[in-house]
Amino acid sequence: MTEKLESDEKQDDGGRGWLARWTRLPEVERALFDERPVGLSAWARTTAGIVCMLIALQVVTGVLLAFYYVSSGESAHTTVAYIEKVLPAGSWIRALHHTGSQWLTVFLILHLAQMFWRASYRRRPVAWMATILLLALVLAGGATGYSLPWDARAFFGTRVAEGIAGGLPLVGNATRQWLLGGTEVSTLTLSRFYALHVFITPALILLVIAARLFVFREADSLKTNDVTDASWQRAQLTRQACAAGLVFLALALCAMKFPAPLGPVASEAAPGYLPRPGAQFLWLFQMLKYLPGSIASTIAMMLPGLIFISLASLPIIEARRFRKSAVYPARKASIVLFALGCAFIVAMTVIAYVGDARDPHVREQLARQAADEAAFRAEPFAPQRTGANETLTTPPVTSGSPAAKQPVSQDSPPASYTAQCANCHGTHGQGVKPFPKLLGVSAKPRRTFDDIIGLLNNPVAYNIEPPMKSFATKLTDEEKREIAEWVVILKKK
Amino acid sequence: MPDKATSKTSPTKTKHPDKSRRKFLSLLPFGIFAGMAGAVAAAAFRFLRPATIARQEAKWLDVAPISELKSDKPILRTVLAERHDGWATTLEEQQIFILPKQNNQALSAVCPHEGCNVSWRDETNGFFCACHDSSFAADGARLNGPSPRGLDPLASREQDGVLQVQHQSFINNTEERIPRA
Repeated sequence: MTEKLESDEKQDDGGRGWLARWTRLPEVERALFDERPVGLSAWARTTAGIVCMLIALQVVTGVLLAFYYVSSGESAHTTVAYIEKVLPAGSWIRALHHTGSQWLTVFLILHLAQMFWRASYRRRPVAWMATILLLALVLAGGATGYSLPWDARAFFGTRVAEGIAGGLPLVGNATRQWLLGGTEVSTLTLSRFYALHVFITPALILLVIAARLFVFREADSLKTNDVTDASWQRAQLTRQACAAGLVFLALALCAMKFPAPLGPVASEAAPGYLPRPGAQFLWLFQMLKYLPGSIASTIAMMLPGLIFISLASLPIIEARRFRKSAVYPARKASIVLFALGCAFIVAMTVIAYVGDARDPHVREQLARQAADEAAFRAEPFAPQRTGANETLTTPPVTSGSPAAKQPVSQDSPPASYTAQCANCHGTHGQGVKPFPKLLGVSAKPRRTFDDIIGLLNNPVAYNIEPPMKSFATKLTDEEKREIAEWVVILKKK
Repeated sequence: MPDKATSKTSPTKTKHPDKSRRKFLSLLPFGIFAGMAGAVAAAAFRFLRPATIARQEAKWLDVAPISELKSDKPILRTVLAERHDGWATTLEEQQIFILPKQNNQALSAVCPHEGCNVSWRDETNGFFCACHDSSFAADGARLNGPSPRGLDPLASREQDGVLQVQHQSFINNTEERIPRA
């Protein structure tokens, strides 16, 4: 029987027969299918192929981006701008990665819905839990990846993530500091998010996929030796490929039309910058608005966890031995719960969008930010200046008489500046991303000598937001004068 | 085995339209995969292609006032040369030798063999590279050792009493002098 089948395959399907003989792919395929639906239902199940394609695409585009990306506060933004503006196909590859991650979330949810609809979690509890785990990991990948461009969007996004992590009960503060690598968002935070995004999350995702395919055996695997089954699998593979191909085409065109967002570097963000999370987190963001600050972070941290745990435990609570108990939740009840959950998330997302569009102030601010991003995109790429003499303004010309001595030199900041300000504003006022540079600051309105002393005493009066704090008591009047005198002479390079 | 051979050679299309449709359908997924992989691979190829920098005139860099350059021996100086460094522009200290006895000719101190810096040796009245023992004459000409050519001369000029050079770097280990940029 089997021999006959093999010779059949040799005759009919070149590619498939070859795969069957030389690879374990048919086994993998067998592990994936639990029934043989036809028609619409068979097409609905192509979400699996689409998810596979999108995960593979995330891996490939992610690796490509890693060829250029540098995860330091000093250089991250420049390297992303280099990818966007200079490298051929860079903008497309980054857009594929950015948009692809959001589509992946959507298709994973559709995949879950489809499995739920078929009640497949009863027959294949491992597959069901693996998919939920994948969704959680993909969301984690999105959250960590959001910080990497290190523009205003990323910087403030990281701040929000920090706040939410801090909301964990009991271990909140420890989690927050471990995530940040200190007490503040810094270059250490960026490299932590980078390692989580590039090594930990993808490794876990691949581990879950490998375990689901090769480690766990589901009880009611199909017998796959009959011919109709083989031909069904063949047809289903074609359906999967068609669906994945169509989604890829749509994504590729979308990525060409809409590049991934990249704004000016965080330190140049306009005052009153309004951060907005990625589309997949909008519902959570919207929810934070309705809850008092003290518990909001806790809930934002716990709710997704609760949702994932309750989804993952579906196969257990629907297991046979529980069905006899009085509190057994009927399938109808879980359908209602699932639908309510989905509706809640969709509704919150819609409300977030509508709310932003309705409020004139928010709308204006978001439009301003969009305009800033568009302007930044139109600017030519500005290479970062590095090297041994980064802060040198002029090369050391030794010709002729020595230059007339200036009372204060741009190259020699006062000691009080170095002690109190240099950590954020740079040793020579060049700024430490994401904090603003002071070079050329005197050209701006309300930044005269007197203004700078006033600003040091009371930053709020000058519309400057934390982390810039008042130095009224931390510096003596003499030191304030010294700093202001030096800061006003700083020229842009 | 012979089965396989016949199925390969005989044109199945004309014989069994149904079979050819099946064959097309079985190959379709591979075609789609190849299409997706091809699109991404083409982009990856362009994305990863080595950067070429538009060639531009090297800047004239101040070395020292001419009046200071008086010596029997070559004088070692550093200039700050700007270099394209991927997404950055970097200032690098480059060592050069000025030969006062040869009309202030400037030489790059980089050994053309593997790129170590050469030093002046009074005993031999010449340049010596301690990495692989290449030696050069007082005017930079190649004498002994593995270096395929003499030390690389740099363009120099006098401007308002100051000696200036154009710094350049050349590809290592070739007989001909091929500029990098």
